[in-house]
Amino acid sequence: MNAVVTLLIGLVAIAVGYGVYAKSINKNVMNPDEKKATPAKMYMDGVDFTPANRNVLFGYQFKSIAALGPITGPIVAVQWGWLPALLWIIFGTFFIGWVQDFSTIMMGVREEGQSLGALSYRFVSPRARTILLTFIYFYLLLIMGAFGKIVGYDLMTNPAVPLGVLLVIGVGLLAGQMTYKWKMDIILTSAITVILAFVGIWLGTLPGVKNLFLAINGGETSPVVFGSVTQAQFIWSLVTLVICYFGAILPIWRWAQPINYVAFWIVFLGIAAGTVGLLVWRPSIPADFPAFTNWNGNLCAASDCSGLEKTPLALGALWPLLFVTIACGAISGWHSLVSSSGTARQLESEADALYVGGGAMFLEMFLAVLSLLTAVVGVGATTGFAGYVGMIAAGKNAGVFAVGLSEMMSRIGVPTSFGLPYGSVFLTLMALTIMYLVVRFMRVASAEFMGDKVPLFKNATFGSIVALLLSAVLIYTGFWARIWVLFGGANQLMAALTLLLITLWLMSKGKSYMWTLIPFVFMYITTIGALLLTAYNTIHQVMTTPGLAIDLVVGNWLAGLIAIYLVISALILGWDSLQAFQRQRAASVEAKAKV
Amino acid sequence: MSFPPFITRLGRGVKSTFRTLAEIIYGATIHEMVRDLRKERAHLEHLFILIVFGDILGIPILPPYYTLHLLPYIAPNITGWKRSLLRERDLTDLCDQEIG
Repeated sequence: MNAVVTLLIGLVAIAVGYGVYAKSINKNVMNPDEKKATPAKMYMDGVDFTPANRNVLFGYQFKSIAALGPITGPIVAVQWGWLPALLWIIFGTFFIGWVQDFSTIMMGVREEGQSLGALSYRFVSPRARTILLTFIYFYLLLIMGAFGKIVGYDLMTNPAVPLGVLLVIGVGLLAGQMTYKWKMDIILTSAITVILAFVGIWLGTLPGVKNLFLAINGGETSPVVFGSVTQAQFIWSLVTLVICYFGAILPIWRWAQPINYVAFWIVFLGIAAGTVGLLVWRPSIPADFPAFTNWNGNLCAASDCSGLEKTPLALGALWPLLFVTIACGAISGWHSLVSSSGTARQLESEADALYVGGGAMFLEMFLAVLSLLTAVVGVGATTGFAGYVGMIAAGKNAGVFAVGLSEMMSRIGVPTSFGLPYGSVFLTLMALTIMYLVVRFMRVASAEFMGDKVPLFKNATFGSIVALLLSAVLIYTGFWARIWVLFGGANQLMAALTLLLITLWLMSKGKSYMWTLIPFVFMYITTIGALLLTAYNTIHQVMTTPGLAIDLVVGNWLAGLIAIYLVISALILGWDSLQAFQRQRAASVEAKAKV
Repeated sequence: MSFPPFITRLGRGVKSTFRTLAEIIYGATIHEMVRDLRKERAHLEHLFILIVFGDILGIPILPPYYTLHLLPYIAPNITGWKRSLLRERDLTDLCDQEIG
């Protein structure tokens, strides 16, 4: 099959999903009223509630939901074959993803812009809110572990990448200075800083620079520092954490905002160039790249691994693990938090909810399909399936994307010697822009949870250092694939909780609710299954593998315990939900009897 | 000089497409920066109103003579200020501003 046909399938799914299914639900169930004042208009305070144009809000929503998830998830999920990954991306978005994002916005708008925490307190139980908050904390921690490992272990260890990343950060700081201190025009600032950022990435590819960073790494084969952690991995993970520290401590306008701004253009131009390159190239999916490998995602059963230094980790059973491996890109709980606290409070008209919430989710699906193609045709067409297996075995999950993107960009004249580090800087920036904001959020969370008991947590530096130390434990230990699955699991549990909330809300309004109840049941059972399986796999591996490095032992135990904690929380939540469901049904029967 | 209707319609369509794209890019880039700055200003304003007119919320601050001079300037913001200050918040409220 041709890659362009795959993109067309994605477009057809968007046309049918958005144009038929989503519009029909919007019209027949939600009945948006254009004349009804939204919370953004009713409670306009210039802080949380401010109406914004639908296109502006669409851009805001898309930027908020599309990070590393829709890019990395599909690449990892190709271990089961490209077809299951593609089907889940399309059907997940079609039946669940947009449903959650759109309905959360509508629920927020109709419930006076209340946050998800407040709504779960009201519709499920008081402890549901507490569970939601702990999910969020674990989710954030797992983001740090998963993204930190990608950056510190995979991307930055390439000697052509670190200088580019550091210079883009420097250019971002310059952008902040130009905008806020020198009050320069934003277009001029953008032009200067983006050009400088590209020059910075190019400088990183010079042989002298690469040799310098190779020396820092300790040579081509970086020596082991402790456990199975190499010198390069140790140094670049530490640098990543230091960058996150500055991002968490400095004022948002000084660090996070301007760097994110410059990073946006690097990412945006990369996606645009990759898409155009793919359309010009129009490659076929390589014949040796299997549509389906096997039920266990075991690459060595589908390809010859005898020549590889390391054996790639078999992820486990397709159901349920595929459905948490690809979280963002199909469905993600994080979207609901952004939709309720951010978007619902800025919506100018109820009629815009579908365009903003549903539209942004379908566009993210398109990004996930594109990312899947970077692995399948970008890497597959040049090095074949064996090349993909080799990169996964070497822990270069994100590297797959960089190689694939550079291959696509090469079709429009971008040399791979630049495209490859550019793809790595692109992904590193995507991860970093999220990571330092995550640390900011974690320190706020720890101040709220612990501040009254241990006043030291109210100190921003202390709170950030604690968050970074916890992150360091996750980064330096265990297997990345396991952390990724846990990250997906925490994310999908939040999604399940949101779908449940929406179902209860629809019941309370006497509206049709099967279109949210069925996705909730599926996500809930699947996520619990995935977490139980991960707990079993991690602990079983420690128990049965002799001579496992100490960092992997610690990491596996940690992953197993987090998985068990998440399962217990999900079960408590399930029990509370069942009771809430029965309450709502009893209330609706009573209401009907009165009529 | 007048253009044929087809060209005029095409021109309008192209202009509208570019405007939509520009708005989407603004939403993905500058919008949050503007929101953050607005929030920063609003927080300072709210803090100022709290210090000067805290008695409106039941905080026992005696309104001195000079605060009455400020009242006409503050009056339009009082409803929004009260709602913003008294609204219950938890961590999920911070998701859009801290993570983005």
